[in-house]
Amino acid sequence: MKSRHLRVVIPLAVLAFAGVGYVVHTGFGSLSAIGWGSVSLLCPVGALATMLASKTVIPRAVISIVIALVAIVVFGRAFCAWVCPAPLVSKLRTAFKKQDAPGLSKPTGIVAGADEGSEEEKADSEHGCGSESCAACSKCRPSDSRYFILGGTLLSAAVFGFPVFCLICPIGLSFALVFVLINLFGAGDVTWSVVAIPVVLVVEMVFFRKWCSHICPISALMSLVSKFNKTFRPKIDANRCIESRGGECGRCAQVCEVAIDPRHPERGADWSECIKCCACVDACPGKAITMPALPLRSKMEDNEGVLQGEREQ
Amino acid sequence: MESGKNVGSTSSGMSRREFSVGLGGACALLAVGGGIRVAPAQACVRPPGGQDENRLISSCIRCERCIGICPNGALAPAHLEDGVLGVRMPVANFDAGWCDWCADANGGVPLCVETCPTQALQLAEGATPENVIMGKAVIIEDWCLAYSKYNGCRFCYDACPYEAITLDEYERPVVDLDLCNGCGACQAACVSMEEGSIAEGATTRAIVVVPESSIEEKGGR
Repeated sequence: MKSRHLRVVIPLAVLAFAGVGYVVHTGFGSLSAIGWGSVSLLCPVGALATMLASKTVIPRAVISIVIALVAIVVFGRAFCAWVCPAPLVSKLRTAFKKQDAPGLSKPTGIVAGADEGSEEEKADSEHGCGSESCAACSKCRPSDSRYFILGGTLLSAAVFGFPVFCLICPIGLSFALVFVLINLFGAGDVTWSVVAIPVVLVVEMVFFRKWCSHICPISALMSLVSKFNKTFRPKIDANRCIESRGGECGRCAQVCEVAIDPRHPERGADWSECIKCCACVDACPGKAITMPALPLRSKMEDNEGVLQGEREQ
Repeated sequence: MESGKNVGSTSSGMSRREFSVGLGGACALLAVGGGIRVAPAQACVRPPGGQDENRLISSCIRCERCIGICPNGALAPAHLEDGVLGVRMPVANFDAGWCDWCADANGGVPLCVETCPTQALQLAEGATPENVIMGKAVIIEDWCLAYSKYNGCRFCYDACPYEAITLDEYERPVVDLDLCNGCGACQAACVSMEEGSIAEGATTRAIVVVPESSIEEKGGR
């Protein structure tokens, strides 16, 4: 199966898994806290926020944060590409362009403040905008604004005494939508949440479309910690790379969702933003890109050779 | 804040746009937090260990594990109508099942408490089903078959595990509020809606567990 399809199937499977756990009362939970029995893995941002809000040290939250940090160092931001269900919602934009319209006209009070900048966003072109290199276009590049949101998430939890962001987190809301639909159709539980949750999700992920790169505090945390990540980094085989052999390409930079330019890393976003989505691997016409689990020395030298050749030109 | 390798991009360091989006978003979060904090919220019947509302609000990350794991289906996510602050927190759903503290499923330790990853649900030392008051059962006499039809219906009386319901001289159930802990067995057993109370305008069952605070407001019965 192509990675493009897997990236839809895996998040859907996680949603389905949570839904099944909800129906059969095994209570796997959601990605906010997933686990079995008394063993839970909490969302690191939720864990931090709730400890700040309650001003207590919660053992399971601390353990979860440590595990999450280790996982981010090992896998980078792979969660963003492979597990997170929120991008599925933003994919609706391309799937049902017209159908989005009703959702846009009625943002609820919960997110009324969250859609600043949306006018600018509307002017942005779709990703894969066809510009020579997306890495050069700052709009696709992961933004430092996320660090402010991460700060705001933690500060708001500490000030108001409850994890504010958890209420509007698109990951939590995706699962909440599954659960609320199960309750609606399974138990006839009618509530405004059935309307409000999808509206908030659509506002966040479709209307305010640069959520992942400009807003998401979880991606901010991952980008920070990913600076220590050295594994699963795209490597270019100079012998196969079209540009290295004198041609014109830049396909890898065009397809990168986080505006990394694997061929010219200095031009694009930092490697710590890499979501390990393998789009560059799949797109490379010369099949020159691989994503080795470990930064092998020989491959490193290859990449150095590529860059060296570039500088000489 | 490190901005990575920005050579060749439109800016070095953080651009004004990034700064304004970030600051705007952070302020929006603070505004949303404050707004939700002051928005009106209703008291709700919570699962065991959730009686300290402040701790529940501060620690619950809305993962809904407690709701999913309840073997009796006695929990549901709070509705938006119950208040934005508490939305998706666990509330009692005693129409579907009642809370026996997982006597059969987990040897008397409530699974919701055991599974809560943030200790938002937490039982004090020595907590027992008898001394943890989730709510109090209230009979809505207009919809109760025993009151409106004098048919001697006593499902709630039979269901109550704490003998908190007695029958009066007309065989009508009466709740002893001192003995009731709000387990919901009576509500789960009530058949009034199936037996025609909807025609009388009933929107809930004829015996429902309500938060203890809402009983106190009425000054008893």
